[in-house]
Amino acid sequence: MIKVTSIRFAPLALALALAGCASGPGGGSIYVPMGGGEPSRAPEPPRTAEPEQNSEREPEPRVWRKSEEPAVSEPEQPSRTPSYRESGDALPAAAVTLIRDADQRLQQGDSAGAISSLERAQRIAPRSAEVYFKLAEAYVAGDNLGAAEQFTLKGLSLAGNNSSLQRSGWLLLADIRRARGNVAGASQAEDRARAL
Amino acid sequence: MWLRYNRGMSKSSSSRKKSPKSRSGNQKSGFWRFMFRAGALGLVLLAGWMVYLDAVVTSRFEGRRFEVPSRVYARPLELYDGASVSAGSLVRELELSGYRPGDGVRAGTYQRNGGRFVISTRGFLFPDGEEARRRLSLVVSGDRVSSFSVLAGPSAAIVRLEPARIGGIYPAHREDRVLVQLEEVPELLPQGLMAVEDRRFYDHFGVAPLSIARAMLANIKAGGIVQGGSTLTQQLVKNFFLSREQTLVRKGNEALMSILLELHYDKDDILETYLNEVYLGQAGTRSIHGFGLASQFYFGESLKDLAPHQLALLIGMVKGPSYYNPRRHPERATSRRNLVLDEMAEAGLLAEPELAKQKSRPLGVSAKPSFTENRYPAYIDLVHRHLARDYQQEDLQSEGLRIFTTLDPAVQHASETAVSKTLPKLANADELEAALVVTAKDTGEVLALVGGKDPQFAGFNRAVDAHRPMGSLIKPFVYLTALEQPDRYTLITPVKDQAFTLEFDDGRLWQPKNFDKEERGEVPLHLALSKSYNLPAVRVGLDIGIPNVQQTLRDFGVTTPISDYPSMLLGSVSLAPVDVAQLYQGLATGGFNTPLRTIREVTDADNEPLSRYNLKVDQVADPAAVHLVQYAMQETMQEGTGRSAYYTLPDQLTLAGKTGTTDDGRDAWFAGFSGDLLAVAWVGRDDNGPTVLTGASGALPVWSSMMSQIPQHGFSPVMPDGVQYHWVDAEAQALTGEGCANARLVPFITGSEPVMSTDCNGNIGRQIRSWFEGLFQ
Repeated sequence: MIKVTSIRFAPLALALALAGCASGPGGGSIYVPMGGGEPSRAPEPPRTAEPEQNSEREPEPRVWRKSEEPAVSEPEQPSRTPSYRESGDALPAAAVTLIRDADQRLQQGDSAGAISSLERAQRIAPRSAEVYFKLAEAYVAGDNLGAAEQFTLKGLSLAGNNSSLQRSGWLLLADIRRARGNVAGASQAEDRARAL
Repeated sequence: MWLRYNRGMSKSSSSRKKSPKSRSGNQKSGFWRFMFRAGALGLVLLAGWMVYLDAVVTSRFEGRRFEVPSRVYARPLELYDGASVSAGSLVRELELSGYRPGDGVRAGTYQRNGGRFVISTRGFLFPDGEEARRRLSLVVSGDRVSSFSVLAGPSAAIVRLEPARIGGIYPAHREDRVLVQLEEVPELLPQGLMAVEDRRFYDHFGVAPLSIARAMLANIKAGGIVQGGSTLTQQLVKNFFLSREQTLVRKGNEALMSILLELHYDKDDILETYLNEVYLGQAGTRSIHGFGLASQFYFGESLKDLAPHQLALLIGMVKGPSYYNPRRHPERATSRRNLVLDEMAEAGLLAEPELAKQKSRPLGVSAKPSFTENRYPAYIDLVHRHLARDYQQEDLQSEGLRIFTTLDPAVQHASETAVSKTLPKLANADELEAALVVTAKDTGEVLALVGGKDPQFAGFNRAVDAHRPMGSLIKPFVYLTALEQPDRYTLITPVKDQAFTLEFDDGRLWQPKNFDKEERGEVPLHLALSKSYNLPAVRVGLDIGIPNVQQTLRDFGVTTPISDYPSMLLGSVSLAPVDVAQLYQGLATGGFNTPLRTIREVTDADNEPLSRYNLKVDQVADPAAVHLVQYAMQETMQEGTGRSAYYTLPDQLTLAGKTGTTDDGRDAWFAGFSGDLLAVAWVGRDDNGPTVLTGASGALPVWSSMMSQIPQHGFSPVMPDGVQYHWVDAEAQALTGEGCANARLVPFITGSEPVMSTDCNGNIGRQIRSWFEGLFQ
């Protein structure tokens, strides 16, 4: 759950709070309002000759064991760790509205209009796999299979561990590849869908 | 046109030559003959002149009547529950779009009560359809919109405000106008105009001798000039075709052309043209023509929304836009307006109680024009360049195109502030210049662009034109190329941090050094990137091959030739900040190139779409390998060369980035991204001289200052297919337990994780996992 790699002397509570904030696999993106947290240190004026690399030797990262976690420790040492998560963002309601609008336009045969609505949705929800799959569908309707394949791949890169999203993505990709005459690629994608 | 005129003249001189020959007859008949000939000649000349004038009148009137500049719009603000906006930037955005604080009921006004807003939109015709007029209610708290609802108008979960107009592309004569059609203007406007300027407009034939007499009478009665003698047709002709000189010949031409115009066109046509042509003010070099633009320019409102007293003011200003300028001479303008209101009442257009009410109203002029030209010179410059790929300059200047850009006024404001506030704090600030590019990470839309330390100055656009060596900004691409070969490189692969000498065929030597001149023996690859050590980068780059690194750069969007000397591995490649932004877009989006765009759509004046510039994505790298690079670029911000960003930024805002510094601090770069934004900052000197700055001390403060002003999501990439995280001990090159010393959670391309394991005491065991697995098989 918590990806803390090189916390030095950081209190567990802080580590939990920050790591929970910062990564939280499976959760949505973390929204940080302006001044959304206290800077970890007092702001310093920009320095003029800070070397790009550490001139002093970095101390070996010391990692404490769980059993040794100090209850309290120096708050001035922040804990930060590279963040990742296991699934993309859920669709906000406004994006759902725009996707419905796009569906209507698609039904009326207006693929350009649908793409226009979906691009609005994508700006609102740029990390939701669904938006990209919908864009792929609109490009299929507009007979631009190359773009459709790329948007499917993009959607798949955001599907994470959501297997139903993964499955719809791989099946969509298989259809598009087959339509483009890429039979091998299509069956590869189908295998991926089946394996889920 | 003038050819015809000259031919007429030469005809007359040749006939004069003939006349002396015929002087042999008697004196009297000779005189009459002469008179007859002179008269005939006069008629011929007049006819010729009329033909000429007619050609002038019709060609100008028939063809393109107006050259309408193209309008450039910012992106519209989308309002919905969850929308990311601070109260301050919402107010700024509203003001940019010409909204005024008010009751929130009248279109174009808003009411603010703490974080609660009521906004009455005017509606707008977007390329993809009409956004209706609505009254909206919403709350901004924690920099997010909540409790969004539509109080009046068609219900909707998401609504676009009218986009702010941020520029125009003007014809050479700098005339600006918003075309209006007669049927769409309030009736009071043409009626009032006729009451004041030309009461018998619909009855006369272009000139009206009676009107002149009537005007004189009215002027005497009012004790000043309230009416002019010229008809509206004459005024139009004067503005349209003739110079400003006051001569009798010109007056004659004016009358003739007015008659000709009336012969060819109907009254409504002439009136509509008048409404669009009349000169009503000046904004710098830009002249304000027509009532449509004047309404926006003086009131920040659309013509159809003006109250009678506002229409009266505009009608009054026809007489002298600068003399009656309501911003400069409010008293003069008020009394002129009231005279016009009286005239309207006299003509039966206003009832008595209404007259008193309208006369008592203040002028209602907006404090400054809602649209200040050239507020964003660097951005508009880039828009121009993108347009030039598909459009002729003359069409842009005259066809009234509507250009919908991706500029985000809030981000642009933050960027300008970041540059202008941060730069003076740096050492030897006077000689420094800067550039900043901000894009939306996942759409490639350019949100903001700053081309120099004075963002309002339209000069050298460094964001686009300053091609500088990219320095260490190249390193992520070197390591990406390596990590795409997981059997050879992982994030914990030890790489040598030791000096070495390269000898070229011609005998020259190259000895790269670390910035700090130190050598650390061996470092894991992720640390080599996050600390930006030079020696490992060159060693890894040489190992995987310069052509492979070049190919990666080309895949990510470098189009210029790339040197194949080893020094390219330390960033001898020169790029403009906007090109760096394009390059990093692919890193930020997990290997999907997203072409940068400044324009979403272009429509013609009637909203017919001309071009759409759609979102495009193109997978150019293995998302798994890019994910590993993103890990090290996050580490850069947390423990590496970019960590000073957190002096000003909150810890929760997870970021990824890379510093870059070239020899003697000639270029300080920082490129990085959050969940929403990607930004590239450059600081250096125009003369390419040395500075004491580094990427971290020169460019990063600008970058961080911009980021600190925008509410946004942290960077947290979705783990792609084929990546697994493992707790590892890099020193031991082995898997380890979560709580063990030196344990670090690191992503690996599946199958490339270490085979060995170590326990917390450093006892290496081969295949411990397999042994356990064996137990249960």
